[in-house]
Amino acid sequence: MKNSIKLIAIICATVLFVTANMAMAQKAGGPWTFPAKYKAMKSTVKAGDASIMSVGKDMYNKHCKSCHGTKGLGDGPKAANLKTSTGDFSTAAFQAHSDGELYYMSFIGRDEMPNFEKKILDEADRWAVIGYIRTLKK
Amino acid sequence: MKQIFTIVRNSVLTLLTLLTLQTTTFAQEETTQDTTVQEKPKERPVRAAFESGLLFDNATTTLHPSKSLEFILQHRFGNTENGIHDLYGIYGAANIRFGLNYSLLDNLNIGIGTTKYNMMQDLQLKYRIIEQTRSNSIPVTVMLYEVIGIDGSPDSKWDQSVGSTSYKFGNRMSYFTQLLVSRSFNDHLSLQAGGAFTHYSCVDSVYNHDRISLSFAGRYKFSPQGSFIIAGDFPLDITGIKDYKKDSDANTIIYDKPNLTVGFEISTSTHVFQIYLGSAKGILPQEDTMWNNNDFFNQGIMIGFNLTRLWNF
Repeated sequence: MKNSIKLIAIICATVLFVTANMAMAQKAGGPWTFPAKYKAMKSTVKAGDASIMSVGKDMYNKHCKSCHGTKGLGDGPKAANLKTSTGDFSTAAFQAHSDGELYYMSFIGRDEMPNFEKKILDEADRWAVIGYIRTLKK
Repeated sequence: MKQIFTIVRNSVLTLLTLLTLQTTTFAQEETTQDTTVQEKPKERPVRAAFESGLLFDNATTTLHPSKSLEFILQHRFGNTENGIHDLYGIYGAANIRFGLNYSLLDNLNIGIGTTKYNMMQDLQLKYRIIEQTRSNSIPVTVMLYEVIGIDGSPDSKWDQSVGSTSYKFGNRMSYFTQLLVSRSFNDHLSLQAGGAFTHYSCVDSVYNHDRISLSFAGRYKFSPQGSFIIAGDFPLDITGIKDYKKDSDANTIIYDKPNLTVGFEISTSTHVFQIYLGSAKGILPQEDTMWNNNDFFNQGIMIGFNLTRLWNF
């Protein structure tokens, strides 16, 4: 009898734990819809430009790191509190996005991803951030 | 003295009007030229010289873009002179200010605030006259800063000082007008200097209504989010603007000490946190300039911190 009660208790605890975690699990963000204007955009900062590792890295660390993590893995201290996964910048799938698409995702945003146009005002500085995100590819 | 104040006020208003008209004229000229002359590359302004529009109690030339709202919390603990007995002023009498600033335009910001000491209510205005560019065609940023203070103390404060029959609401008013010039030398180092005129409508009979002061501020950014910051306000002893000419007696407290502050700043995308050691307790710039008798180098230090939260709309 005692063993049965223990077994029921363990099953209940397991069910509760799994249910709670399923409820708290982050959902992956759905596919983005990019306006034509942004899709066609090309970076004005060439790969290897000095501004990428100075301005781009600094701005990334100030504005992006708290959610997206130091290496863009989506493991920043604020990421766990979001309803949507922040994604992984190091993956080939993410890096396959065009410059303009990354610009749209980074500075226009949607839902939990805020608009950053008023945080980073200069166009070249924004492209430096995109350039830095490109360096996070594995 | 009222005449001097009126002259200064009128000069500032005239300057603002001229600048507005000048900007409008330039805008019209550019529109006309667009049809005939190839468009010139747009001048890029430098990145903000400071992380926030606030550096300790001082204003900086930094303005947030239009439709930005900034909440400000400024806190000054008691004097550290009692040491461990009141945990270096942390258990002592504190001063605190809550403020809200809103950017109406990219170069125009208005604000309101309330401060514990003297129950001061304040209205603020910042207008950026010119902005430093990356090409160095404009080497500095110039800003006009105005703070109007309203002392919220009970009427009896003025009944004692000027007689119960002569109390007027205007007695509560104080004004701080400052012209600030800053330069961002690179992504790490920014410096700022300014000159200010302070006027109190009503003061005790042994004090002056007006004071001119100079100020400086600096930031050295050593990481994307961390900076060393420093500032100082220096009241000037100018005989020409004094309305109390006699020598002060031994019982009169002389308020002529500079307000020096040094600290550390952490900034994120939406927050700025400053923790510092400073010598003035007023928080509002006119209070710091007019009524500070703490000597930074002689047991006149207080611990303080500022917090800001920014929303962009």
